[in-house]
Amino acid sequence: MNKTSLLRWLSVFTLCALTGCVTTQSGGSANTNDPLEASNRAMFELNETIDRAVFKPVAQAYAFITPQPIRTCIYNIFLNIGDVWSMFNSAIQGRQVDALNTMGRILLNTTAGLGGCLDLASARGAQRIPNDFGVTLGVWGVGAGPYVVLPIVGASTLRDGSGKIVDLYANQVGWGSTVSNIDLRNSLYGLEAVVRREALLDISNVIDRTAIDRYSFIRDAYLKRRSAQIRGPGADAEALPNYEDVETETTDKK
Amino acid sequence: MTLSFLRLSAFITLLIGLMVGVPAHAQTKPNAMGAPNEFVQQVADQVLATLKADATVKAGDTARINQIVDELILPYVNFEKTTRLAAGRNWRDATPEQKVALVKAFRGTLSRTYSGAFTRVDAGTAMKTLAFRGDASAADVVVKSQVMQSSNTQPIALDYRLEKTNEGWKIYDLNVENIWLIENYRNQFTQEINKSGIDGLIAALNKRAQ
Repeated sequence: MNKTSLLRWLSVFTLCALTGCVTTQSGGSANTNDPLEASNRAMFELNETIDRAVFKPVAQAYAFITPQPIRTCIYNIFLNIGDVWSMFNSAIQGRQVDALNTMGRILLNTTAGLGGCLDLASARGAQRIPNDFGVTLGVWGVGAGPYVVLPIVGASTLRDGSGKIVDLYANQVGWGSTVSNIDLRNSLYGLEAVVRREALLDISNVIDRTAIDRYSFIRDAYLKRRSAQIRGPGADAEALPNYEDVETETTDKK
Repeated sequence: MTLSFLRLSAFITLLIGLMVGVPAHAQTKPNAMGAPNEFVQQVADQVLATLKADATVKAGDTARINQIVDELILPYVNFEKTTRLAAGRNWRDATPEQKVALVKAFRGTLSRTYSGAFTRVDAGTAMKTLAFRGDASAADVVVKSQVMQSSNTQPIALDYRLEKTNEGWKIYDLNVENIWLIENYRNQFTQEINKSGIDGLIAALNKRAQ
């Protein structure tokens, strides 16, 4: 068996393991979009435990020893690098305006923004358009599939988990072609993980304080956000949730 | 000499304290009868001005934060509607006492989101409503805004959903980065009610308060 076909089988196997080819009984929740709820909840708990033990404390230590302007600068640099992949995805989705906007943002932030440290594009009111291969698959018409909680990565779907593999590969190629020193490259991966977790500290604290059930809070937020990304930045106004108000008639009579 | 200097500096400190404290309350009240985006802007400006002038908020004083929420936000929010929509069909089965308790418990839960956001308000924090798109004469509208922080970060998209009532506009739903508040609580509410009833949901919300 040559190396390519071995890799292919390996990736199919990993995809299977990551996204849960084994179907499990539903956890009895009112949701149809989460048939793997039982195993997802188990993975969610495991992730939370790992996060509490490793990632969160490291992120907090990083926040403690690093002043806010420097943290923002480093985070912005990573976001700026990530924008290259976002731009590529916008382009292959046929969203050329988004791709051009992202290109302008990268050019401005990389030059005048000192390698992305200063997010001048945002300061000028231009919104960042985050994009990835999972969204691309969605735009191309691939359904989300069941909701899946991945190890470490967390909230995902069958489609987004598959997209994630492409994202990670692209990210690796990006780093590999620019940073040839392997130790340095791996340190940068580690730093990126810490920096991204630190940026989420405030949000995860809010979720801890306000969610009744953190699992479904994160699941519902994730699925909503993903479908909004697939609909595209301009289309969100049409997607207003229609809550059936049980007291509509009585309020009308008042 | 030293004594009079001390007295003078104490006087000046007091004066500055008063001056910083006063403008927030001297502002005009938001006009709930006006254009929805102007109304939201006025509410936000008033809250931000108060927060910026208040050092106790930065220190995380929960009592003071709750007071600000009560005085400057709650009058413009239809919190009963927010809770009712989050409860969905189950609202009909609730007794009047349960309804009151549920609204109160949910409000307590959401105040804790405010307290986190409020402590991060600094001199450069601003909220800018975007130009109103849509039918301004409609009774149910969406106002879009961006929240800017001074510290070199990207703005956060924050949308408000309002309804027109006899007392003017009332906010009843919020959207942060494409996620509507009510929508995101609906499943959790249903789940908790199915598991342990409306009283169970009230208890779960109150338990989070500790």
